[in-house]
Amino acid sequence: MKNSKQLWLIFGPVICAALLVVGLLSIPWERTFSAGSLYQAAASQTATVFKGKTMRQKAYKQGYVPFYGSSELSHFDNMHPTVLATKYKRDYMPFLLGGPGSQSLSQYLGMQGAASKKAVMIISPQWFTAEGQDPAAFTIYYSPLHAADFLLKAQDTEEDRYAARRLLQMPSVKDSHLIYNAALRVAAGLPVSKTQRALLIWRRRMLANEDTFFTSLQLRDRLAKIKQQGAKLPKTYSYAGLKAASEKEAAQNTKSNRFGIRDSFYKRRLNARLLRKLKGSQKKFDYIESPEYSDFELMLDQFAQDRTQVLFIIPPVNAKWREYTGLSQKMYEEATAKMKYQMTSQGFTNIIDLTKDGGKKYFMEDTIHLGWNGWLTMDQAVRPFMAKKYVAPSYYLDDYYYTRGWRERKQVPATSLTNKQVLARLRSK
Amino acid sequence: MINLQPYENPQYFIYLLLALLPLIIGLYFGKRFKTYEAIVSLAFIFLIFDADKWVQGVTLICYIVYQFLVTFAYQHYRRKTGKGNKTWVFCLAVILAILPVAAVKIWPVVPHKPGLDLGFLGISYLTFKTVQVVMELRDGTIKKVDPVMYARFLLFFPTISSGPIDRYRRFAKDFDKAPSREDYIKDLGYAVRYLFQGFLYKFLLAWYFGSQLLPYLKLQAITMGKGNFLHLSWWLLGVMYCYSMYLFFDFAGYSLFAVSISYFMGIHTPMNFNKPFAAHNIKEFWNRWHMTLSFWFRDFIFMRFTFFAMKKRLIKNRIRLTQVAYLVNFMVMAVWHGLTWYYIVYGLYHALAIIINDIWLRFKKKHKLVKHTRFTEAVAIFVTFNAVCLSFLIFSGFLNNLWFNVPLGK
Repeated sequence: MKNSKQLWLIFGPVICAALLVVGLLSIPWERTFSAGSLYQAAASQTATVFKGKTMRQKAYKQGYVPFYGSSELSHFDNMHPTVLATKYKRDYMPFLLGGPGSQSLSQYLGMQGAASKKAVMIISPQWFTAEGQDPAAFTIYYSPLHAADFLLKAQDTEEDRYAARRLLQMPSVKDSHLIYNAALRVAAGLPVSKTQRALLIWRRRMLANEDTFFTSLQLRDRLAKIKQQGAKLPKTYSYAGLKAASEKEAAQNTKSNRFGIRDSFYKRRLNARLLRKLKGSQKKFDYIESPEYSDFELMLDQFAQDRTQVLFIIPPVNAKWREYTGLSQKMYEEATAKMKYQMTSQGFTNIIDLTKDGGKKYFMEDTIHLGWNGWLTMDQAVRPFMAKKYVAPSYYLDDYYYTRGWRERKQVPATSLTNKQVLARLRSK
Repeated sequence: MINLQPYENPQYFIYLLLALLPLIIGLYFGKRFKTYEAIVSLAFIFLIFDADKWVQGVTLICYIVYQFLVTFAYQHYRRKTGKGNKTWVFCLAVILAILPVAAVKIWPVVPHKPGLDLGFLGISYLTFKTVQVVMELRDGTIKKVDPVMYARFLLFFPTISSGPIDRYRRFAKDFDKAPSREDYIKDLGYAVRYLFQGFLYKFLLAWYFGSQLLPYLKLQAITMGKGNFLHLSWWLLGVMYCYSMYLFFDFAGYSLFAVSISYFMGIHTPMNFNKPFAAHNIKEFWNRWHMTLSFWFRDFIFMRFTFFAMKKRLIKNRIRLTQVAYLVNFMVMAVWHGLTWYYIVYGLYHALAIIINDIWLRFKKKHKLVKHTRFTEAVAIFVTFNAVCLSFLIFSGFLNNLWFNVPLGK
């Protein structure tokens, strides 16, 4: 065999494969998704869907509304928002975004280029620790596609510089020299260089193509579970009927313990020895000083730019569990007051504060996650919110919330969500 | 500043192969561009140790200078002083060669200011090479070390970070000539094949096992084990198998990269793995797993110790002698991995396993117990595989997280 032919046999396949892959991924591709796969994606809560973009964008155009949150979203009991929306064939359908460990920063990145008219946001006060976003958990939800979207739209604003600085603190961002170096420039207030921009656009196209084609192949089908939960509900919607179904289900599932925690969770995750250890273990927890407050501001900033109408939910902690672990309710209320101050003073006034409801019967499914009656209470706000026509909101963003002064501030004046005068005064500031 | 860790991502190979292209073309035409190769080698080593890793880089330079002093002082002693062959001088040379790596291994258990670290990526693998040269100078199998070749050998960048561990004479023989075109085309064929096998191992399989499956299994094992005896749960078994797969595909993938890049450069760096999980006993496993390391240990720890003990008549019984030699061999390997309880236990475990295996083999032979069939072969492979996986669970350090509440990732 001639040498050149042998060389071709060795390198030919490699060259062809490389050209084919790069070529195919560099072309802009369009596609549609079946109603079934959009529904699966919306309920699946997988990291791939979270890290993607195309399915979010397409779903929002077809009546899906993002429900931003974290671990509570995976608790599919019979009052879960997706179960209710499916059972009663509502005009909207939740698109669940978030899971254990996802916090403001990941959510902010995911919102880039995926604006929605309305959104529901479940804020976990547990995010607001002294460390804020855990870098390891950030890795699970970090998507280079989102990062490229962010870098390509970044301007020399407090928001973008802050976001870039936060990104640079996360180890997963260092995986790509391109993204890391572009983020360095944005953090320094410089525009992304021309070469970086060209490379980022190319990279984003490849990542977007990967997302378009492969995300829908890795969905998790929860339809059976949703149907099974829905079967326990009354045929037609009535609050009283739902309340009865909720309490019946909750009573059946919380027999084993004095905390009102779901039996399966209690059996799997807690036992006598661990319980003894946990007693009084949360006395020192503090959610008042945290980098998360500024990360949270990033999301508010994004909502303002996208002119999204948002309904915020602040869940409580299971009161019996709180007393057992020694978590301070006073601290918890001060922290949620700080969040509310941050929101209301910038025009985000659609807040359902459940902070004080942790002691209500069947309100929580376990220690910190909403369940049965908690979901149902939330639904009383979600239903009218979705029914109302969309009106472009006006927000008043303030860069003060990106400062250390705010993150470390301990005392904030109480905000009354019903007092219009107070709200007006806050806005005029 | 750009910093490139060896084989960290697919882009690295694009930069690397572009840089190697002139060299590849040269070799194809029967020419080895030695100066160019040195420049590329140094450039890629520079890129490992620049930016925030510069302290490691400076340490590397000091280390190389130090090892040169040790090796050439010993060579001078062996050659110039006539029949200079005192055991104590030899021992001194070996001790001096091992000193830096010993210091690096002991350092973590010495209380010190955090952030202050000795050591650099690849120090162990460089030490294996220098110790080997000192030992062969003593044996007389290496007559003369050429300083330039020695520098090329130590700083051969495809293998600088984690092996495979080449031998000086073998390397020098490859490097002195350019392969014939026919041979080089064959090398290129292997190089491409190993490269893509490496991609499959490291970027697909090791990635899946290590960063997709393993964190989940670990978390489950910790949560579900709470309150149980020794925190045991079925999840721990999952961690064990998953970690074993991760360890193999990660390291075998890395080794394939190193061998592949060496072949592109016309150097036949030896292979590191040969289907280790198909071994039917522990002894065979060590002939298939991290081979360049276990052969190094066989030649320079096991054999040396055996000869030394025989010469000094420390242990008369041959069987006992082999057993002690295994123990020494694996304990040195354990300590080399690091001074933690789980590496020590890992070393003891393998020493015991291989000793028991030896006893069993002798017992079996003597009593003609079992006839070798395909079934017994399968059972042997199964038992060996599980014994090895258990040892890797110990090695992983996960038990430290599970039993002593050390947070994951620490």
